[in-house]
Amino acid sequence: MDTKPYIQDSAAGEFFSRLAEGKFQTTRCRACGETHYPPRVLCPRCLGEDLEWVDLPREGTLLAFTWQEAAIRCIKPDVLGLVELEGVGNIFTRIDAPYESLRIGQRVSFSPWTSPDGLALHQFRPVD
Amino acid sequence: MNEVYIAGVSMADVGWHELDAHELGARVCVEALRDARLLPRDIEGIASTPHGYMAESRKFASQRMADYLGITADFMMDVDSGGNSSTAAVHAAYERVRAGRIRSCLVFAAQREVPKKVIQQDVFSYFHLIMSANSLYDSYQAAYGVISPLPFYAMAVQRYMHECGVEPEDVARVAVLLREHALRHPQAAYKEPITLEKVLSSPQVSPPIHRLESSEMHDGAAAVVLVSGEMLRESERAARVASVAESHDPTSFHPYRGEISRFPCVERAAEAALAESGYRVGDVDVAEVYGAFAGLELMMYEELGFFARGEAPAAVKEGRTTHGGEVLLNPSGGRLSLGHPAYVTPLLEITEVVRQLRGEAGERQRPGASIGLVHTEQGFINGSVVMVLDRQAP
Ligand SMILES: [Zn+2]
Repeated sequence: MDTKPYIQDSAAGEFFSRLAEGKFQTTRCRACGETHYPPRVLCPRCLGEDLEWVDLPREGTLLAFTWQEAAIRCIKPDVLGLVELEGVGNIFTRIDAPYESLRIGQRVSFSPWTSPDGLALHQFRPVD
Repeated sequence: MNEVYIAGVSMADVGWHELDAHELGARVCVEALRDARLLPRDIEGIASTPHGYMAESRKFASQRMADYLGITADFMMDVDSGGNSSTAAVHAAYERVRAGRIRSCLVFAAQREVPKKVIQQDVFSYFHLIMSANSLYDSYQAAYGVISPLPFYAMAVQRYMHECGVEPEDVARVAVLLREHALRHPQAAYKEPITLEKVLSSPQVSPPIHRLESSEMHDGAAAVVLVSGEMLRESERAARVASVAESHDPTSFHPYRGEISRFPCVERAAEAALAESGYRVGDVDVAEVYGAFAGLELMMYEELGFFARGEAPAAVKEGRTTHGGEVLLNPSGGRLSLGHPAYVTPLLEITEVVRQLRGEAGERQRPGASIGLVHTEQGFINGSVVMVLDRQAP
């Protein structure tokens, strides 16, 4: 069964291949300086096409978290969360900690994660 | 501009159906036409939606129905914008009738899903449907295997409870109340009463959401007939469309910026619809609200302006949203307990409000209801449509 993720544009393909190389990055517009998340193939702010890949912050704030009952690619009950990255926005990610141990507002940091079907993704875990 | 009326409504029982979506649709269309005292030859427009999210969906529902019933149309449209689809279709039809382009329009939706149990018993055969559910989300959400909006809604409810000091009992109480409402509705999917204890002890599907605080996708069908005054056969049963407004945020499921527990599109659509209707939110007697989860139900009551931020839980507890209260919210049982065929849901909501305004809602009737509101949403409440209806014969 093919469980490849849906790739909506070439920026998404690039984002996940960079992640596989350990790079946690998104696009920034060279013309207007806007940082996009998710990454774009063009800049929605100035409509420019001259974009560069820049590092995303590797630490953020846990805004919310839950787990999903059923999913492809992840193992039940996988903890998911929304992490606020300063100056970028909210990133939907896996949280590498038991649900019961988490609290809203705590600091979390990036770490790479490979899903059971071999996809390189990101996750965040609480900063001690 | 012409006044626009809803002259006919009809709905199939909400639940699981054996009939094909086309036949389910044809039956409600014919009932709605009978209710409007019109024949297919009187109909000048037709609009519909897809037959389901997970269904092996056929396209061109409107065209097939025009053929089946013999409708020559000057307006035809199939809308796919998730939970807003059939209200968006009604909105488009309303504008055409109001502008005098057409004098009548049939809007219907019929939904037949492959039941979740069938999929779970044979995941291999239905894997393409599971993958298609996954591809409803963008790449950055879909990568985490999401196949339902539950995790997104769960985090919104968690934030709402955190920000407004809402307790689990406050959320569970909404589910109990909606079930009480549904027990008065002979066409509701759920027939058994539930208690606070039962809701809170039901399994968590995505914390903090419990199974009984979550709507389940059902099959269903419904149709409504919009007409101008000259096509109205029984003006004493007319529900006038006082206004329709919609508003959409630049988001698809979770917003990448801003709060996840606020839904500005709902507030904007409600303010615009109320302003155009000339009514204030306090004038509304009865409303059908699109709350797919108990916590979201509370948040929608607040975004629509019925209560201030954080005050819906107390209003529900004090009986202000039920029979005998200041406004009757979701008398049908709502999405949680009427059942939730999402493409059909907006037409079920309109049907309920029209029945209330006509005084034909049986045991669910709010005595003297004369102003009603319908609210729908799509995705993760990324967009909303709000309609105001009243009882004002030409
Ligand atoms: Zn730019």
